[in-house]
Amino acid sequence: MDPLDRLRSVGRRITDPAELIAQQVAERVIELLVGALDINGLAARVDLNAVLRRVDLDEILTRIDVNVLLKRVDMSILLDKIDMNAVLDRVDVGAVVDRVDFNDVVRRIDMDALVEQADLGAVIARSSGGAAGEALDLARSQAVGLDQFIDRWVRRMFRRKHPDPLAPPALLPARAEQ
Amino acid sequence: MSVRPPAVGMVSLVGHYAGSVSRFLAYAIDLVVGAGLFALALAATSFVAEVVTGHSINWNRSNIVVAIIFAAWQFFYFGYSWAASGRTVGMAILGLRVVQADGAGLDPWRGIVRALVFPLSFLFFGLGFLGILVQREHRALHDLIAGSAVVYTWDARAARLRFLAREAGIRLTPSTGGDAVPVRITDR
Repeated sequence: MDPLDRLRSVGRRITDPAELIAQQVAERVIELLVGALDINGLAARVDLNAVLRRVDLDEILTRIDVNVLLKRVDMSILLDKIDMNAVLDRVDVGAVVDRVDFNDVVRRIDMDALVEQADLGAVIARSSGGAAGEALDLARSQAVGLDQFIDRWVRRMFRRKHPDPLAPPALLPARAEQ
Repeated sequence: MSVRPPAVGMVSLVGHYAGSVSRFLAYAIDLVVGAGLFALALAATSFVAEVVTGHSINWNRSNIVVAIIFAAWQFFYFGYSWAASGRTVGMAILGLRVVQADGAGLDPWRGIVRALVFPLSFLFFGLGFLGILVQREHRALHDLIAGSAVVYTWDARAARLRFLAREAGIRLTPSTGGDAVPVRITDR
Protein backbone atom coordinates (compact mmCIF):
# COMPACT_ATOMS: atom_id res chain seq x y z
CA MET A 1 0.00 0.00 0.00
CA ASP A 2 1.25 3.39 -0.92
CA PRO A 3 2.11 5.35 2.27
CA LEU A 4 0.80 8.46 0.56
CA ASP A 5 -2.66 6.93 0.23
CA ARG A 6 -2.99 6.80 3.99
CA LEU A 7 -2.07 10.45 4.21
CA ARG A 8 -4.60 11.31 1.49
CA SER A 9 -7.39 9.45 3.27
CA VAL A 10 -6.57 11.25 6.51
CA GLY A 11 -6.57 14.56 4.67
CA ARG A 12 -9.99 13.83 3.06
CA ARG A 13 -11.45 13.01 6.44
CA ILE A 14 -10.41 16.47 7.62
CA THR A 15 -11.11 18.57 4.47
CA ASP A 16 -14.53 17.14 3.53
CA PRO A 17 -16.32 18.16 6.73
CA ALA A 18 -14.47 21.48 6.65
CA GLU A 19 -15.61 22.12 3.09
CA LEU A 20 -19.19 21.26 4.01
CA ILE A 21 -19.07 23.61 6.97
CA ALA A 22 -17.57 26.37 4.81
CA GLN A 23 -20.32 25.97 2.20
CA GLN A 24 -23.05 26.08 4.83
CA VAL A 25 -21.48 29.16 6.38
CA ALA A 26 -21.18 30.86 3.02
CA GLU A 27 -24.81 30.14 2.14
CA ARG A 28 -25.94 31.50 5.45
CA VAL A 29 -23.83 34.61 5.07
CA ILE A 30 -25.15 35.30 1.60
CA GLU A 31 -28.70 34.76 2.78
CA LEU A 32 -28.19 37.21 5.62
CA LEU A 33 -26.49 39.67 3.27
CA VAL A 34 -29.23 39.56 0.63
CA GLY A 35 -31.84 39.87 3.33
CA ALA A 36 -30.09 42.92 4.65
CA LEU A 37 -29.65 44.52 1.23
CA ASP A 38 -32.25 46.96 -0.16
CA ILE A 39 -32.28 45.85 -3.80
CA ASN A 40 -34.68 48.61 -4.84
CA GLY A 41 -32.48 51.16 -3.19
CA LEU A 42 -29.49 49.71 -4.93
CA ALA A 43 -31.25 49.73 -8.30
CA ALA A 44 -32.26 53.34 -7.75
CA ARG A 45 -28.60 54.22 -7.30
CA VAL A 46 -27.65 52.64 -10.60
CA ASP A 47 -27.53 55.10 -13.50
CA LEU A 48 -29.34 53.00 -16.12
CA ASN A 49 -28.98 55.72 -18.73
CA ALA A 50 -25.23 55.50 -18.38
CA VAL A 51 -25.47 51.74 -18.69
CA LEU A 52 -27.67 51.97 -21.74
CA ARG A 53 -25.34 54.50 -23.34
CA ARG A 54 -22.69 51.84 -23.24
CA VAL A 55 -24.94 49.33 -24.97
CA ASP A 56 -24.52 49.05 -28.73
CA LEU A 57 -28.18 48.75 -29.71
CA ASP A 58 -27.37 48.48 -33.42
CA GLU A 59 -25.38 45.39 -32.78
CA ILE A 60 -28.20 43.92 -30.72
CA LEU A 61 -30.75 44.74 -33.38
CA THR A 62 -28.64 43.17 -36.10
CA ARG A 63 -28.71 39.97 -34.08
CA ILE A 64 -32.49 40.04 -33.78
CA ASP A 65 -34.58 38.43 -36.51
CA VAL A 66 -37.39 40.98 -36.64
CA ASN A 67 -39.54 38.79 -38.86
CA VAL A 68 -39.51 36.03 -36.29
CA LEU A 69 -40.28 38.58 -33.62
CA LEU A 70 -43.21 39.99 -35.58
CA LYS A 71 -44.60 36.52 -36.17
CA ARG A 72 -44.90 36.15 -32.44
CA VAL A 73 -46.70 39.47 -32.06
CA ASP A 74 -50.48 39.39 -31.95
CA MET A 75 -51.20 42.36 -34.21
CA SER A 76 -54.90 42.40 -33.42
CA ILE A 77 -54.16 43.03 -29.75
CA LEU A 78 -51.65 45.68 -30.74
CA LEU A 79 -54.13 47.36 -33.06
CA ASP A 80 -56.83 47.22 -30.42
CA LYS A 81 -54.61 49.28 -28.19
CA ILE A 82 -53.96 51.92 -30.87
CA ASP A 83 -56.33 54.86 -31.00
CA MET A 84 -56.48 55.31 -34.75
CA ASN A 85 -58.46 58.52 -34.44
CA ALA A 86 -55.69 60.01 -32.36
CA VAL A 87 -53.13 58.84 -34.91
CA LEU A 88 -55.14 60.26 -37.80
CA ASP A 89 -55.61 63.53 -35.94
CA ARG A 90 -51.85 63.92 -36.02
CA VAL A 91 -51.67 63.25 -39.78
CA ASP A 92 -51.58 66.30 -42.04
CA VAL A 93 -53.91 64.99 -44.72
CA GLY A 94 -53.48 68.15 -46.79
CA ALA A 95 -49.74 67.56 -47.01
CA VAL A 96 -50.31 63.95 -48.01
CA VAL A 97 -52.81 64.96 -50.69
CA ASP A 98 -50.43 67.64 -51.99
CA ARG A 99 -47.83 64.96 -52.58
CA VAL A 100 -50.19 62.81 -54.64
CA ASP A 101 -50.07 63.28 -58.41
CA PHE A 102 -53.73 62.80 -59.15
CA ASN A 103 -53.24 63.27 -62.88
CA ASP A 104 -50.91 60.31 -62.83
CA VAL A 105 -53.42 58.33 -60.79
CA VAL A 106 -56.20 59.13 -63.24
CA ARG A 107 -53.98 58.24 -66.19
CA ARG A 108 -53.43 54.83 -64.65
CA ILE A 109 -57.16 54.14 -64.47
CA ASP A 110 -58.53 51.91 -67.18
CA MET A 111 -61.74 53.84 -67.79
CA ASP A 112 -63.21 51.14 -70.00
CA ALA A 113 -62.72 48.56 -67.28
CA LEU A 114 -64.00 51.01 -64.69
CA VAL A 115 -67.33 51.66 -66.35
CA GLU A 116 -67.75 47.97 -66.98
CA GLN A 117 -68.23 47.64 -63.24
CA ALA A 118 -71.96 47.17 -63.00
CA ASP A 119 -72.83 49.75 -60.37
CA LEU A 120 -70.87 52.61 -61.88
CA GLY A 121 -72.12 51.71 -65.34
CA ALA A 122 -75.69 51.79 -64.14
CA VAL A 123 -75.21 55.18 -62.53
CA ILE A 124 -73.78 56.69 -65.70
CA ALA A 125 -76.37 54.98 -67.87
CA ARG A 126 -79.15 56.42 -65.71
CA SER A 127 -77.71 59.89 -66.15
CA SER A 128 -77.31 59.62 -69.90
CA GLY A 129 -80.83 60.69 -70.85
CA GLY A 130 -82.16 57.43 -72.21
CA ALA A 131 -82.88 56.55 -75.82
CA ALA A 132 -82.89 60.15 -77.07
CA GLY A 133 -79.43 60.77 -75.67
CA GLU A 134 -78.23 57.49 -77.10
CA ALA A 135 -79.53 58.39 -80.57
CA LEU A 136 -78.02 61.87 -80.33
CA ASP A 137 -74.64 60.47 -79.32
CA LEU A 138 -74.78 58.02 -82.19
CA ALA A 139 -75.73 60.66 -84.78
CA ARG A 140 -73.05 63.05 -83.56
CA SER A 141 -70.36 60.41 -83.47
CA GLN A 142 -71.22 59.33 -87.01
CA ALA A 143 -71.11 62.93 -88.22
CA VAL A 144 -67.79 63.57 -86.48
CA GLY A 145 -66.42 60.33 -87.90
CA LEU A 146 -67.30 61.53 -91.40
CA ASP A 147 -65.81 64.96 -90.63
CA GLN A 148 -62.52 63.33 -89.70
CA PHE A 149 -62.63 61.03 -92.72
CA ILE A 150 -63.08 63.99 -95.09
CA ASP A 151 -60.38 65.94 -93.27
CA ARG A 152 -57.91 63.13 -93.78
CA TRP A 153 -58.63 63.03 -97.52
CA VAL A 154 -58.39 66.79 -97.93
CA ARG A 155 -55.05 66.78 -96.10
CA ARG A 156 -53.84 63.98 -98.35
CA MET A 157 -55.08 65.79 -101.43
CA PHE A 158 -53.27 69.01 -100.52
CA ARG A 159 -50.25 67.04 -99.24
CA ARG A 160 -50.14 68.99 -96.03
CA LYS A 161 -47.20 68.02 -93.91
CA HIS A 162 -47.92 70.21 -90.90
CA PRO A 163 -50.92 69.37 -88.74
CA ASP A 164 -53.90 71.71 -88.91
CA PRO A 165 -54.78 73.70 -85.79
CA LEU A 166 -57.22 71.71 -83.73
CA ALA A 167 -58.97 74.56 -81.95
CA PRO A 168 -59.02 78.34 -81.62
CA PRO A 169 -56.27 79.68 -79.29
CA ALA A 170 -58.62 80.54 -76.42
CA LEU A 171 -59.99 77.01 -76.38
CA LEU A 172 -56.62 75.27 -76.51
CA PRO A 173 -55.86 75.36 -72.73
CA ALA A 174 -59.24 73.84 -71.91
CA ARG A 175 -58.59 71.15 -74.49
CA ALA A 176 -55.11 70.45 -73.12
CA GLU A 177 -56.51 69.80 -69.65
CA GLN A 178 -58.83 67.12 -70.97
CA MET B 1 -74.92 40.72 -82.13
CA SER B 2 -72.03 42.90 -81.08
CA VAL B 3 -72.47 46.64 -81.07
CA ARG B 4 -69.63 48.69 -82.37
CA PRO B 5 -68.42 51.41 -80.06
CA PRO B 6 -68.53 54.98 -81.39
CA ALA B 7 -65.87 55.62 -83.99
CA VAL B 8 -64.67 58.63 -82.07
CA GLY B 9 -64.35 59.18 -78.35
CA MET B 10 -60.85 58.48 -77.16
CA VAL B 11 -60.37 62.24 -76.83
CA SER B 12 -62.83 64.96 -76.03
CA LEU B 13 -63.56 67.07 -79.10
CA VAL B 14 -64.84 70.05 -77.16
CA GLY B 15 -63.41 73.20 -78.70
CA HIS B 16 -62.11 71.52 -81.86
CA TYR B 17 -62.95 73.09 -85.22
CA ALA B 18 -66.10 71.46 -86.54
CA GLY B 19 -66.00 69.62 -89.85
CA SER B 20 -68.09 69.86 -92.98
CA VAL B 21 -70.54 67.00 -92.45
CA SER B 22 -71.60 68.10 -88.98
CA ARG B 23 -72.06 71.66 -90.18
CA PHE B 24 -73.99 70.65 -93.28
CA LEU B 25 -76.32 68.43 -91.24
CA ALA B 26 -76.87 71.23 -88.74
CA TYR B 27 -77.75 73.60 -91.59
CA ALA B 28 -80.11 71.05 -93.12
CA ILE B 29 -81.93 70.71 -89.80
CA ASP B 30 -82.11 74.50 -89.51
CA LEU B 31 -83.59 74.75 -93.00
CA VAL B 32 -86.30 72.25 -92.08
CA VAL B 33 -87.00 73.90 -88.73
CA GLY B 34 -86.95 77.41 -90.23
CA ALA B 35 -89.18 76.48 -93.16
CA GLY B 36 -91.52 74.54 -90.88
CA LEU B 37 -91.91 77.42 -88.48
CA PHE B 38 -92.43 79.81 -91.41
CA ALA B 39 -95.12 77.56 -92.88
CA LEU B 40 -96.80 77.34 -89.49
CA ALA B 41 -96.71 81.12 -89.15
CA LEU B 42 -98.26 81.55 -92.62
CA ALA B 43 -100.96 79.01 -91.81
CA ALA B 44 -101.71 80.74 -88.52
CA THR B 45 -101.85 84.11 -90.25
CA SER B 46 -104.22 82.73 -92.88
CA PHE B 47 -106.45 81.25 -90.19
CA VAL B 48 -106.61 84.47 -88.22
CA ALA B 49 -107.24 86.54 -91.38
CA GLU B 50 -110.02 84.19 -92.41
CA VAL B 51 -111.64 84.37 -89.00
CA VAL B 52 -111.41 88.16 -88.85
CA THR B 53 -112.14 89.14 -92.47
CA GLY B 54 -113.88 86.05 -93.80
CA HIS B 55 -111.48 85.87 -96.73
CA SER B 56 -108.79 83.24 -97.03
CA ILE B 57 -105.26 84.18 -98.07
CA ASN B 58 -103.49 82.10 -100.68
CA TRP B 59 -99.76 82.30 -100.20
CA ASN B 60 -97.82 81.96 -103.42
CA ARG B 61 -94.17 80.98 -103.36
CA SER B 62 -93.43 83.24 -106.31
CA ASN B 63 -94.98 86.17 -104.51
CA ILE B 64 -92.23 88.69 -103.89
CA VAL B 65 -93.72 89.72 -100.56
CA VAL B 66 -93.63 86.14 -99.30
CA ALA B 67 -90.04 85.78 -100.53
CA ILE B 68 -88.99 88.95 -98.73
CA ILE B 69 -90.74 87.89 -95.53
CA PHE B 70 -89.10 84.46 -95.78
CA ALA B 71 -85.66 86.03 -96.27
CA ALA B 72 -86.27 88.31 -93.29
CA TRP B 73 -87.40 85.36 -91.21
CA GLN B 74 -84.30 83.41 -92.17
CA PHE B 75 -82.12 86.34 -91.22
CA PHE B 76 -83.96 86.67 -87.91
CA TYR B 77 -83.79 82.92 -87.22
CA PHE B 78 -80.03 82.64 -87.80
CA GLY B 79 -79.09 86.13 -86.62
CA TYR B 80 -80.99 85.90 -83.36
CA SER B 81 -79.76 82.36 -82.64
CA TRP B 82 -76.11 83.23 -83.25
CA ALA B 83 -76.28 86.56 -81.44
CA ALA B 84 -78.13 85.15 -78.42
CA SER B 85 -76.41 81.82 -77.86
CA GLY B 86 -73.98 81.21 -80.70
CA ARG B 87 -75.99 78.25 -81.91
CA THR B 88 -79.12 77.43 -83.88
CA VAL B 89 -81.43 74.48 -83.28
CA GLY B 90 -79.55 72.37 -85.81
CA MET B 91 -76.20 73.28 -84.28
CA ALA B 92 -77.49 72.41 -80.81
CA ILE B 93 -78.59 69.00 -82.07
CA LEU B 94 -75.23 68.32 -83.72
CA GLY B 95 -73.29 69.74 -80.74
CA LEU B 96 -71.79 72.79 -82.48
CA ARG B 97 -71.31 76.42 -81.51
CA VAL B 98 -70.19 79.59 -83.26
CA VAL B 99 -67.33 81.35 -81.47
CA GLN B 100 -65.02 84.19 -82.36
CA ALA B 101 -61.95 83.32 -84.40
CA ASP B 102 -59.81 83.34 -81.25
CA GLY B 103 -62.22 81.04 -79.43
CA ALA B 104 -63.94 83.62 -77.23
CA GLY B 105 -67.70 83.75 -76.97
CA LEU B 106 -69.36 85.32 -80.00
CA ASP B 107 -70.26 88.98 -79.65
CA PRO B 108 -73.93 89.58 -80.52
CA TRP B 109 -73.04 92.02 -83.28
CA ARG B 110 -70.76 89.42 -84.87
CA GLY B 111 -73.67 87.02 -84.85
CA ILE B 112 -75.78 89.54 -86.71
CA VAL B 113 -72.97 90.30 -89.19
CA ARG B 114 -72.53 86.57 -89.75
CA ALA B 115 -76.24 86.23 -90.55
CA LEU B 116 -76.05 89.24 -92.92
CA VAL B 117 -73.08 87.95 -94.91
CA PHE B 118 -74.17 84.32 -94.75
CA PRO B 119 -75.86 84.50 -98.22
CA LEU B 120 -72.55 85.54 -99.77
CA SER B 121 -71.24 82.03 -99.24
CA PHE B 122 -73.96 80.75 -101.60
CA LEU B 123 -72.69 82.89 -104.49
CA PHE B 124 -70.84 81.21 -107.35
CA PHE B 125 -72.33 77.78 -106.62
CA GLY B 126 -71.58 77.93 -102.95
CA LEU B 127 -67.92 78.73 -103.42
CA GLY B 128 -67.85 80.45 -100.05
CA PHE B 129 -68.56 77.16 -98.28
CA LEU B 130 -65.47 75.59 -99.79
CA GLY B 131 -63.48 77.07 -96.94
CA ILE B 132 -65.14 74.60 -94.56
CA LEU B 133 -63.52 71.81 -96.54
CA VAL B 134 -60.12 73.18 -97.44
CA GLN B 135 -59.35 75.99 -95.00
CA ARG B 136 -57.18 74.87 -92.10
CA GLU B 137 -59.61 76.21 -89.53
CA HIS B 138 -62.69 75.08 -91.47
CA ARG B 139 -63.91 78.64 -91.84
CA ALA B 140 -66.33 79.55 -94.62
CA LEU B 141 -66.47 82.95 -96.33
CA HIS B 142 -69.06 84.28 -93.87
CA ASP B 143 -66.84 83.08 -91.00
CA LEU B 144 -63.85 84.95 -92.39
CA ILE B 145 -65.87 88.15 -92.84
CA ALA B 146 -67.55 87.98 -89.41
CA GLY B 147 -64.38 86.79 -87.64
CA SER B 148 -66.05 83.64 -86.41
CA ALA B 149 -65.41 79.91 -86.33
CA VAL B 150 -67.52 76.86 -85.57
CA VAL B 151 -66.39 74.39 -82.91
CA TYR B 152 -67.70 71.21 -81.38
CA THR B 153 -69.34 71.46 -77.98
CA TRP B 154 -70.03 67.75 -77.90
CA ASP B 155 -67.82 65.78 -75.56
CA ALA B 156 -66.97 62.67 -77.54
CA ARG B 157 -65.15 61.06 -74.62
CA ALA B 158 -68.16 61.46 -72.32
CA ALA B 159 -70.32 59.97 -75.07
CA ARG B 160 -67.98 57.01 -75.25
CA LEU B 161 -68.23 56.53 -71.49
CA ARG B 162 -72.02 56.65 -71.76
CA PHE B 163 -71.86 54.05 -74.51
CA LEU B 164 -69.65 51.78 -72.42
CA ALA B 165 -71.94 52.30 -69.44
CA ARG B 166 -74.94 51.28 -71.49
CA GLU B 167 -73.07 48.21 -72.64
CA ALA B 168 -72.15 47.42 -69.03
CA GLY B 169 -75.81 47.93 -68.08
CA ILE B 170 -76.76 44.86 -70.12
CA ARG B 171 -75.78 41.93 -67.95
CA LEU B 172 -76.33 38.25 -68.45
CA THR B 173 -78.11 37.00 -65.35
CA PRO B 174 -78.97 33.31 -64.86
CA SER B 175 -82.67 32.48 -65.09
CA THR B 176 -84.38 29.70 -63.16
CA GLY B 177 -83.79 27.27 -66.01
CA GLY B 178 -80.10 27.96 -65.98
CA ASP B 179 -80.13 29.86 -69.28
CA ALA B 180 -78.81 33.37 -69.52
CA VAL B 181 -81.17 36.19 -70.36
CA PRO B 182 -80.11 39.78 -70.98
CA VAL B 183 -81.36 42.18 -68.32
CA ARG B 184 -80.80 45.87 -68.36
CA ILE B 185 -79.66 47.06 -64.97
CA THR B 186 -81.46 50.34 -65.55
CA ASP B 187 -84.73 48.41 -65.81
CA ARG B 188 -84.39 46.86 -62.39
